[in-house]
Amino acid sequence: MERPAPETEVTLREFTEADAEALFAWASDPRVVLFQRREAYARVDEARRYILDHVLPHPWYRAICVGGGGGAVVGSISVKPDPAEERGGRRSSRASLGYRVAHGYWGRGIATRAVQAAAEAAFAEWPWLVRLEAVADVENPASQRVLEKAGFVREGVLRSYVVLKGTPRDMVVFSFVDTDRERNKPVEAHKD
Amino acid sequence: MEVTLRRFELLDVDAMMTWASDPEVAAFCRWEPYASTESVLAYLRDTVLPHPWFRAICLAGDGRPVGAVSLEPTADACRGELGYVLARAHWGQGVATAAVRRALAAVFGEVEGLSRVEALVDVDNAASHRVVEKAGFRREGVLRRHYWHKGRARDLVMYSFVSGDPLPQ
Repeated sequence: MERPAPETEVTLREFTEADAEALFAWASDPRVVLFQRREAYARVDEARRYILDHVLPHPWYRAICVGGGGGAVVGSISVKPDPAEERGGRRSSRASLGYRVAHGYWGRGIATRAVQAAAEAAFAEWPWLVRLEAVADVENPASQRVLEKAGFVREGVLRSYVVLKGTPRDMVVFSFVDTDRERNKPVEAHKD
Repeated sequence: MEVTLRRFELLDVDAMMTWASDPEVAAFCRWEPYASTESVLAYLRDTVLPHPWFRAICLAGDGRPVGAVSLEPTADACRGELGYVLARAHWGQGVATAAVRRALAAVFGEVEGLSRVEALVDVDNAASHRVVEKAGFRREGVLRRHYWHKGRARDLVMYSFVSGDPLPQ
């Protein structure tokens, strides 16, 4: 497999409070938050609070970095386990994935590589995980392509699935399941 | 088939035991058959009575429940998941379909912020597919390995009924 150019090599790492300005760069951009529930941030302090209150306590939330370890933070990706099943409190076998990338870094395959890396990490870290799910707005074909290129399977359109800024939205649902991993495992190249 | 829906009471414990203890009823459900009236009473008291939307299915002219229909909250207030269960003696007579239609007519007015009712049906549960289709749900796709049920990953078919969809006569 061809290695990506160094400037678009993607690594995922944990967030710190020091990433507030980087997060603010995309969280304040109406083009990025168009398909998100939240309104665009107006102050860096909102991004800092978001990191403290939501990102740091989150089960799995990572900064998307380009240009190798220590490179610029250009987006974020998160995987959230579904709550435990009702009766019996048995834990779920599912998790949901979401991501956002700063507008200036769109169109370079960064989100696709981040989704691939996050899916691999989730299945490696959580042995109970069977199904990873992601949704994309029906009017967001770029996001749908990211998920398809990352190996997710499109399953259908869920009508009025979420309410975004007061309006019910139809969402395309995608999944990557444990048996997809086994099917997609590359054959090891012969090593000398 | 005429049915009415009403809220449950603790006095319904014996009627509920009829379907809650039946392994054939439980086969496609997410729960194991209940072994005692005490456990059904606890379920009524702790889950059913405080539930945001849970109704007893009664045949017209008869106050004794023959099943239940409920709307489970999800991560979003705009969508709820429909569930229903029916005592085996009343299968195959259109009771579940009638109860689901009644539920769809009621929930959008009774549940704040609801715009979507979804039903997830095991790919192999043919009877349940017929119920939701006749009740006016629209099939959206198969959610692969969505549910871990009794030791196996199951594919479920996702159906939805959204606010404004026509209720079949």
